[in-house]
Amino acid sequence: MPLISCKNVNLSYENNSVIENLNFCVNEGDYLCIVGENGSGKSTLIKSILGLKETSSGHLHMENGLSRKEIGYLPQQTTAQKDFPASVNEVVLSGCVSRKRKSFFFTSKEKAMAVENMKKLDILELKNKCYRELSGGQQQRVLLARALCAGKKMLLLDEPVTGLDPIVTMDMYNLIRKINKELGVTIIMVSHDLHSAVAYADHILHLNKTGSFFGTVVEYLASDTYRKFGGEI
Amino acid sequence: MTEVLNLIFTQNFLTRALVVGILVSLCSSLLGVSLVLKRFSMIGDGLSHVAFGAMAIACAANVAPLYFALPIVIFAAFLLLKMNESGKMKGDAAIALISTGALAVGVMATSLTTGMNIDIYNYMFGSILTMTDSDVIISTVLSAIVISLFIIFYNEIFAVTFDESFAKATGTPTSLYNMLISALTAVTIVVGMRMMGALLISSLIIFPTVTSMKVCKSFRRVIISGALISVFCFVSGLVLSVKYEAPTGASVVCFNIYLFAAVSAFKALKSRNKPRAKVLSVISALLFSLIYIVVMVFGTSGIYNRDSDRISVVTTAFAQYDFARNIVGDKGEVTMLLSPGEESHTYEPTPSDIMKIKECDVFVYGGGESEKWAEVILESVSEEIKTVKMMEAVELFEESHEEEGHEHTANHSEVEYDEHVWTSPYNAVTITEEISKAVIEADRANEAYYKDNTEEYISKLKELDDNFMNTVKNSTYGTIIIGDRFPLRYLTERYGLEYFSAFPGCSAQAEANPVTVSSLIDKVKADSIPVVFKVDLSTGKVAETISAATGAEVLTLYSCHTVSAEDFNNGTGYIELMERNLKGISAALN
Repeated sequence: MPLISCKNVNLSYENNSVIENLNFCVNEGDYLCIVGENGSGKSTLIKSILGLKETSSGHLHMENGLSRKEIGYLPQQTTAQKDFPASVNEVVLSGCVSRKRKSFFFTSKEKAMAVENMKKLDILELKNKCYRELSGGQQQRVLLARALCAGKKMLLLDEPVTGLDPIVTMDMYNLIRKINKELGVTIIMVSHDLHSAVAYADHILHLNKTGSFFGTVVEYLASDTYRKFGGEI
Repeated sequence: MTEVLNLIFTQNFLTRALVVGILVSLCSSLLGVSLVLKRFSMIGDGLSHVAFGAMAIACAANVAPLYFALPIVIFAAFLLLKMNESGKMKGDAAIALISTGALAVGVMATSLTTGMNIDIYNYMFGSILTMTDSDVIISTVLSAIVISLFIIFYNEIFAVTFDESFAKATGTPTSLYNMLISALTAVTIVVGMRMMGALLISSLIIFPTVTSMKVCKSFRRVIISGALISVFCFVSGLVLSVKYEAPTGASVVCFNIYLFAAVSAFKALKSRNKPRAKVLSVISALLFSLIYIVVMVFGTSGIYNRDSDRISVVTTAFAQYDFARNIVGDKGEVTMLLSPGEESHTYEPTPSDIMKIKECDVFVYGGGESEKWAEVILESVSEEIKTVKMMEAVELFEESHEEEGHEHTANHSEVEYDEHVWTSPYNAVTITEEISKAVIEADRANEAYYKDNTEEYISKLKELDDNFMNTVKNSTYGTIIIGDRFPLRYLTERYGLEYFSAFPGCSAQAEANPVTVSSLIDKVKADSIPVVFKVDLSTGKVAETISAATGAEVLTLYSCHTVSAEDFNNGTGYIELMERNLKGISAALN
């Protein structure tokens, strides 16, 4: 069942065309990795999927009743967050903000949901710790828990392992796989790390100005694109 | 301490200051958290300059400053937000552009109309003690709106502050909440300016947050402790200012700095990896608290206490002070609110000054633009106090706004009158008679004594008046040149002198118009006028420029509005100062 379909899409950044004639689709339960060189339009595409940015032309839509309210997003960390005084609980709960509509404050249902997601990501004991005092890996887990509060069907991850050491990076990838397989959450991840992308994902979207590749991992490994650029990313 | 608190809760003007101050402190600390964390700290500073510019225009156009500034500042806040969001200009550059632009417009508006008057000065440095009832009502309502909106949208504000792109991606209308934060900030700035002044208000937004961020580990705690810190510093600042006669706004900021330093020291000592780190940090905390307690509780207070039954006369400026002390002699106390040498146009009453007015028997004031605060205070004093408003006692001239000081009706909706009525000895006679009447009414027991003093003093004034008349009548020229502002219009009118001055009226403008200065230089050269005047307690720069260009001697004219500390200590009075003027004018005319 397709959740996102993308047909003949052109995207531009500050009036420069970055992606031309892009075609792909994401089905329920997929684990898609978006790779490509710097400036190939990965972030622009993520923003377009989230509806934060218009496409120049073409058809990019959520299908089968998927809405923005069901997508969790893990953006790249900002510098402002580094010294932000907030408890883990507060950060995770803030993922529920777009859910609450009728009441001004969080209901017990939303609070329970935050606790549940913290449990899933093994950070419940950090609940009252200060976010800025956590390690990089713990911070990413907190942000993942927040993303899960925001949307259960699909997660969009924008370079989730940037700045993490190799061991924590491995943990993070395993965690994401667990979320994908065990919780049945569809994953779209932007990554710089081609080897891990190939190792963990089941679909690859390789963005390239002269012609993007989209297919399963097996197809990708056999493709010209992989042979041409594979070593360089 | 208890004496100060008692005063704050019994004196209307201080209670008002307390209420509005606490509300504004709360608002600013709440919004401060969001602004500081979003890296928007300077937005408060930028908006306060915009508010200042708007207030200046409002004063010039004679409309209510608060109502005028509010929409403009909200608009500026939205504009900053849009500039920031569109990414076309970096936030700090946008803020600098808007704030300096607004400041320049404000300075233009002031200088083209009234000059730097007391209202504008108040909005620059704040004037919490002279708030009117309507100020209090508006401030309270606006603060209540800010606080309740902040609480209602607390979770959304957190989400937008912590991670805007996440909030936006998951369907929160972030630009709406950004606009809300901006609008609330704008309202807080405008309300807070009345009390803290444009130059200090943004510290109220930044300090409490930065201090509480040092110790608190969750957003909610930062907000709550920020609010507590803000209120604590405000109340401390108010108490300090009442106790030691310090300006309120600056006192509040000083407490914020003090607390920030204390918390920083405590944290720095505690986090060191050395033995006894904890002990040292506790000692530092105790030390800071001890200093606080000593200053707040034990320091000797400068609060005025009326301790005598003898008649008490309080005057604003020097001329009326001198008239009053010549009448009262040794039968009572005469107090001048303006310190010797203090600039009258920027004078700000301290709590003690207000107490002096409230507890005196006779209050003498000019009643002009620069003493608007006096009217506010008089609204709340008892009926028993006799007041003498000098501008009501004599015939008034409209204030000149035309350069070179020729008769000219200013095309203002409301005519402003020149307030320096005492500068003619002829008027001084009338004013002295009025003061004398009030003093006698207040203290019948010494009626004969006051009458004798008054008669004697008036005869001296009349002699002075005659001397001026004769000097001008027997002089060669009929024109004086003043390379300064000109507060002595009543003097020149009385004796038929023609004058040309560098600034119109008595506005404390920073810069003279170059065309005016060069025309004054031409005039001095053409008529070979021997003297160019400056006014006492001014820098005399323009007069020196004219003197350098023409060789004319620079002499000083004394306005008697205020007096130098040296003259004051030597007991120099109005008559002596006027005799100096007579000598100077005589030199200039011959």
